[in-house]
Amino acid sequence: MKSHIEEFLDIDKPKDYYSNLVAEIEERNREHHFITTLNSNIASEDRGRLPFTVKANICVKGFETTAGSKMLKGYLPPFDATVVERMKNSGNFSFLGETNMDEFGFGTFGLNTETPAKNAFDSSYVAGGSSAGAAVATAMLKYHIAIAESTGGSISTPSALNGVVGFTPTYGTVSRYGLIDYANSLDKIGVIARSAADARIGFDVIKGRDAYDTTCSIEKIEDSKKKKLFLIKELMDKAEEPVRSSFGRLLDKLGEKYEITEIKSSIIEKSIAPYYIIAMAEASTNLAKYNGYKYGMQYEETNKRYNNFFTEARAEFGSEAKRRIILGTFIRSESVKERYYAKATQVRSMVIKEMRKILKEGFIISPALPIFTPKIEDAVKLTPTQNYAMDVFTVPPNLGGFPHITFPYDYHDGMPLGAQLVTEHANDYALFDFVSEWEESFNYRFRYNLGEL
Amino acid sequence: MKIGLEVHVALPTKSKLFCSCSMEESEYPNQNICPICMGFPGSKPMLNETAVKSALGIANALHCEINRKISFVRKVYFYPDLPKCYQITQMEESIGKEGYLEIENKKIRIRRVQIEEDPAQIVRQGMLTLLDFNRSGTPLVEIVTEPDINTEEELREFIANLRSILYYLGVDINREMKADLNISLAETRVEIKNVTGIKSLIEATRFEVERQSEAIKNNEKIERETRGYNEKSRATESMREKETDEEYGYIYEPDLATFDISKMKYVEPVYITNVSDELGRGSGVNPKTIKEITMLNRDALAMIYKFKERYNMKSILHGIQRFEKYSNKNMEAEDAVKIERLVRLIEEGKDISREAAEKIIAGEEVNIQYSEVTEKEIEKLVEKFVAENPEILEEYKKNKKTINLIIKEISYKNNMHPKDVATAANSVLNRSS
Amino acid sequence: MDNLEFERLLKTTRLKLDEKEKIAIQKDIEEVIGYFEKISEIDTEGEEKAYHPIKVDPRFREDSVSRFADVDMLKRQSKLQDGYIIGPKL
Repeated sequence: MKSHIEEFLDIDKPKDYYSNLVAEIEERNREHHFITTLNSNIASEDRGRLPFTVKANICVKGFETTAGSKMLKGYLPPFDATVVERMKNSGNFSFLGETNMDEFGFGTFGLNTETPAKNAFDSSYVAGGSSAGAAVATAMLKYHIAIAESTGGSISTPSALNGVVGFTPTYGTVSRYGLIDYANSLDKIGVIARSAADARIGFDVIKGRDAYDTTCSIEKIEDSKKKKLFLIKELMDKAEEPVRSSFGRLLDKLGEKYEITEIKSSIIEKSIAPYYIIAMAEASTNLAKYNGYKYGMQYEETNKRYNNFFTEARAEFGSEAKRRIILGTFIRSESVKERYYAKATQVRSMVIKEMRKILKEGFIISPALPIFTPKIEDAVKLTPTQNYAMDVFTVPPNLGGFPHITFPYDYHDGMPLGAQLVTEHANDYALFDFVSEWEESFNYRFRYNLGEL
Repeated sequence: MKIGLEVHVALPTKSKLFCSCSMEESEYPNQNICPICMGFPGSKPMLNETAVKSALGIANALHCEINRKISFVRKVYFYPDLPKCYQITQMEESIGKEGYLEIENKKIRIRRVQIEEDPAQIVRQGMLTLLDFNRSGTPLVEIVTEPDINTEEELREFIANLRSILYYLGVDINREMKADLNISLAETRVEIKNVTGIKSLIEATRFEVERQSEAIKNNEKIERETRGYNEKSRATESMREKETDEEYGYIYEPDLATFDISKMKYVEPVYITNVSDELGRGSGVNPKTIKEITMLNRDALAMIYKFKERYNMKSILHGIQRFEKYSNKNMEAEDAVKIERLVRLIEEGKDISREAAEKIIAGEEVNIQYSEVTEKEIEKLVEKFVAENPEILEEYKKNKKTINLIIKEISYKNNMHPKDVATAANSVLNRSS
Repeated sequence: MDNLEFERLLKTTRLKLDEKEKIAIQKDIEEVIGYFEKISEIDTEGEEKAYHPIKVDPRFREDSVSRFADVDMLKRQSKLQDGYIIGPKL
């Protein structure tokens, strides 16, 4: 399929392109809440550049960046994240705004924030999280690219629920400098777009070594094609109707070109517990710094003794954040650290080894989520572990830092269904090729095409 | 008595440990700051290579087992000066472990040498807490000993030797040496936090030893606690509750990685006790004197090496001391000529007056020629002086040092060797009194 | 998790919860810890610890100085007095 980015760059835009777009977004945002900070000052001369948004946990100099948290209200980063700097410097993109998300990325459905984003297809459904606004914005805007971030599925899930392409690169290929941390050994900045070709363009702009992020050290990206598709039985067993039968039809089509094999793996399905253990342990250290006096929300009572001051200020965290800070701190406690944190890093090793072995032979394919898009009113009733179970497909590649891509493959009751494809470390390009091939026989549907020319 | 130490030392780098902000002193607060050393959301650490090299040199000098792979951990605690509310420090994969430092007849075992970041500086203004982040991110090395120090004397010697080792590695610890002490006289271990400077360290130890001895004598229970040292009252006092390891909840620092330092180069150490023993052997000079002069003076040591084949050790040391006494600046390599002039005069048995020394230091050549006189003639001069100043005799009876006044006066005025004058004065005065 | 341990965690994390939140979160936490217990069944004997998903090839930073471009903007995020940042009382 043709790249929307290239199409946009080729067409002449009217002088008021951006002011019209801003007005359209403002109108839709009242219902879908996908943008948290809108740049309404893009100069008319810059209309040749394609609009890009970033998830609200990616710092943009001078624009309020809150990571969906009240603790960061009013924070104006004094610097651009490396990915933002690279997008701006490429000359082809204009910064349009920041997109809504679960507080600090803590959520599967985008609901853990003050005003949650809603699904682009129907606002009574969840947008998916945690890069909720990024996926909704992509499904809303005809010409646009979203820089998003995934820790355990935060790109795949909302992309699948909004019928767009969500790409999560290999850990360590895109700099995290300027990303407000959730879990540093799991966080990956990626791209959400309306086609695989566009996601690839975005990835090529933002990837590459950065002295400002020590862990960003992968330089060579491969494009090693695979002929085999693997299904992991223990994971597939978790898929419910109508996902199961729709996904079956996708496999039938893919079966024409690929050899599909279902295999068993007892360790991969055990990824969720170690994932949450590591994520929460790291998150609980990252969130220690939000104390209401250096940036963001300013707690006024500086005459209070520091421990009280911190405790009062930190009351502004949302429930899920508090839960994860407490759990993460518990897990790190010296007396239980071996039992949880240390053990989880070992299980992670085992998962990585096992997945490497499989991915050498072919891709792993699955639905992105085990269930059909839930309505908001139903999703809020889920308990924490029921929520975590939604991540059954997205967590393994995220725990192992494997590149993966989500793409729409069907529509059910007017809502999109997404599949997820995983490949080896640093074989990111192979994912775009696979999805581009799929797009040749697939018709994307969108409810809105804001900014259409 | 068992004393263990945790000594914190700032490493000599141009920039901070994890960012490129300058380490130079700043006239104003919050000038050398950036998102990294202020712990802003989204910032990440970048490890300073020079800091690691420097710490590696220290670990090696302390005979540590050098860890070929190093990594960092997060230590979480809440305090207003800690930018991220976790400190990046080291644990298992620290730069060095299990070493020792030698003091007289003893080895003080080193448990660990680790690299860590310094927090911001707190300035109290009335009720306000004011923060200056210029200091935040200063590269520190923490040297943790086993509780092997048993006396105040050993503590002094440990600090002196450590200071010398660090000095020769290019690390000056006089200015801002911070230490935590743990002292146990009986079973209970008491920690004393944040003692700044060597003097305070000794005083805090002395106070705490007395406090605990007193308690034991009175059959009181010694609490296991953390105390602070108050420089003004020169006393240790009970501190706020401190977190324990359970609360610190150390985890691997995932924003950094595991660094392989097996090929890293570092500066070799100078153990001044060994060097002094070597230099002192057969020189007629006590090695301790050499150690005293050189332990914090690399230029003096260089001069000794330069001249030791040509001159007496005693004369060399004397020359160096003269130079240092009358020169207002530190010795440099170019000063070798001047020092040699001093040493030569000393070897010739000449006494160097202040005036002569200053001339030499200014770069002039100075010849000291004494008048040729007999002992009798000098004695006459002394007798005359005493006759003219009778009170001197009374003075001398009270204080024998009064003789120096006479020696100085006569030798200087008459261009005579002070030694000869001294001999004469002694016999005259002893006869007269 | 007993109340004592839960209160210790609240103190350690500098978090306070109202009674309703306390009951809800304590219940959730017990549920989640139960869930985490699953990993104790996995035999990890001899496994390495994966602190990162990939092998990171880290580089040092050369010890050179550069000044941050926008110190003023950095400082403007907090309350200031005489160039100092105001923190909570000690």
